[in-house]
Amino acid sequence: MSGRFTGRNEVAIVGYAQSPIERHSRLTLGALTIETCLQAIADAGLQPEQIDGFTTGSILPAAGGHGSVDGVDIVTANWVAETLGTHARWLCGFQGYGQLPGSVILATEAILAGSADYVLLHRALSNPRRGYHQNPMTSAAGGAQWVAPQGFWGAPSGIAFSYNEYLQRSDATRDDMADVVVGLRANGAEIPWSYWHGQPITVEDYMSARMIADPVCILDCDIPIDGAAAFVLTSAERAADLPNAPVYVSGFAQGNPTAASLGMAWSLDDVREGSARTAEMLWEHTGLTRDDIDHPQLYDGFSPFIWYWLEALGYCGPGEAAQFLRDDSSKRLDILHSGGALGNGRMHGVPQMLECYLQLSGRAGPRQLDGKRVGLACHSSANFGGVVVYSAERF
Amino acid sequence: MEGDSKPVPVVDAQSEGFWRATAEGRLAVQRCQDCGHFSHPPTTICNACHSVPPSLEFEPVSGRGTIGSWTVMRQAFLPGFAADLPFVLARVKVVEQEDVALIGRLVDGPTAAIELGAAVEVVFESLPGGAAVPAFRLVGARS
Repeated sequence: MSGRFTGRNEVAIVGYAQSPIERHSRLTLGALTIETCLQAIADAGLQPEQIDGFTTGSILPAAGGHGSVDGVDIVTANWVAETLGTHARWLCGFQGYGQLPGSVILATEAILAGSADYVLLHRALSNPRRGYHQNPMTSAAGGAQWVAPQGFWGAPSGIAFSYNEYLQRSDATRDDMADVVVGLRANGAEIPWSYWHGQPITVEDYMSARMIADPVCILDCDIPIDGAAAFVLTSAERAADLPNAPVYVSGFAQGNPTAASLGMAWSLDDVREGSARTAEMLWEHTGLTRDDIDHPQLYDGFSPFIWYWLEALGYCGPGEAAQFLRDDSSKRLDILHSGGALGNGRMHGVPQMLECYLQLSGRAGPRQLDGKRVGLACHSSANFGGVVVYSAERF
Repeated sequence: MEGDSKPVPVVDAQSEGFWRATAEGRLAVQRCQDCGHFSHPPTTICNACHSVPPSLEFEPVSGRGTIGSWTVMRQAFLPGFAADLPFVLARVKVVEQEDVALIGRLVDGPTAAIELGAAVEVVFESLPGGAAVPAFRLVGARS
């Protein structure tokens, strides 16, 4: 069996919208999402009644002790379809991590199969008022019993384990990570809708930031926000009749779930083995190699993910990511060009996908880079998230 | 009062053997009686041999392990641990099977000299109601 994608470049993104990214929006998340979805549909040159497919990955925020009311804390595909009142032929939510690549994959396959002609893909993120990971639980049931009674909770604490192991096993230091985060914030500062617009930081700011779980400091974590983004996808054939330059889905890959997990306290070897498999599937699926990618946008919801993706995609060997970035600062700034989650706010993979779409469709405005034809958008860590390759041309 | 006490484990059908052992000061890990594979957290079917019907029992282990990694917690996402900050959490690989890891506090604390691969042994921290949570201490560390 071949892992090659037979639908390569047959589905395209044809429009988008991105809301302002704020700590707390003046709108409820549902209202913000509908406003953004309607903008994306109009941007694609379509009417709401033409949208016949809806998808998202709606999970999170989920770690804290707060509810998940649809239309308030989260927004599902069903809620959007119901609220817009259009006739949905296809409704599907992605479950699991790497929510954005996951929903792009669902949308692409629905269009290829003819289950929907125009799919609205949205992502809505909210910032709970009681603290994102804060949890007042006094009893720990299910998976929580293996971590919470021990004092372990929250994704930043989980990432600290593989990140610390990385530092211990290589010559990389927090000074190296400071350069990554400063670079992301510098790029994010240029983006009008970013929460961090106009707010770059210095290495000194990073090194003096509050520690959360050593070696993770507050600036290694993206800031929780209210925000929504939406994209419209359709077939390459239909895309030809729409106003914007299409950006094609060239292939994708997802990390496999691991059997036993304790929070996100992965071992570095587990990260590397799982990530290598994801990358291998991506090259098989797209028929491309790393050298064909001229705009890789790596995920950074936690800063060490940048290093993990650099290794996974073969830009450097194990333990060499910091050295790779030290040696090539111009390449680094392209990799971080979206500003990422650290430079925009916790939009969960949207900055990377949006950056690929804007650059490849020539719609990046003053941020437009020359000659970008094939982009790659990552989400989450390579061992359990996902990645999509986009192209400006059909090949 | 909500939020001020540490979370206690809610014992269920899969975890009962683990928590019964810790309450008695012993560490036990679920093991497949067909192929000998240890699983933690406990599972409903052996991840290695998938034998049906599953034959999974908790077996005593030595309580010895090595540090896979660690972190110093500086923020309490669980309010019951606020008074303990800063404290060390370790991911400990048990000697019986390297891919079996437990998370526990390292009682030596943040000033101890910790390194990857350092040997540890289990100790138990008591919770109200008779439950006990496994934690670890460095073996051979100066007190």
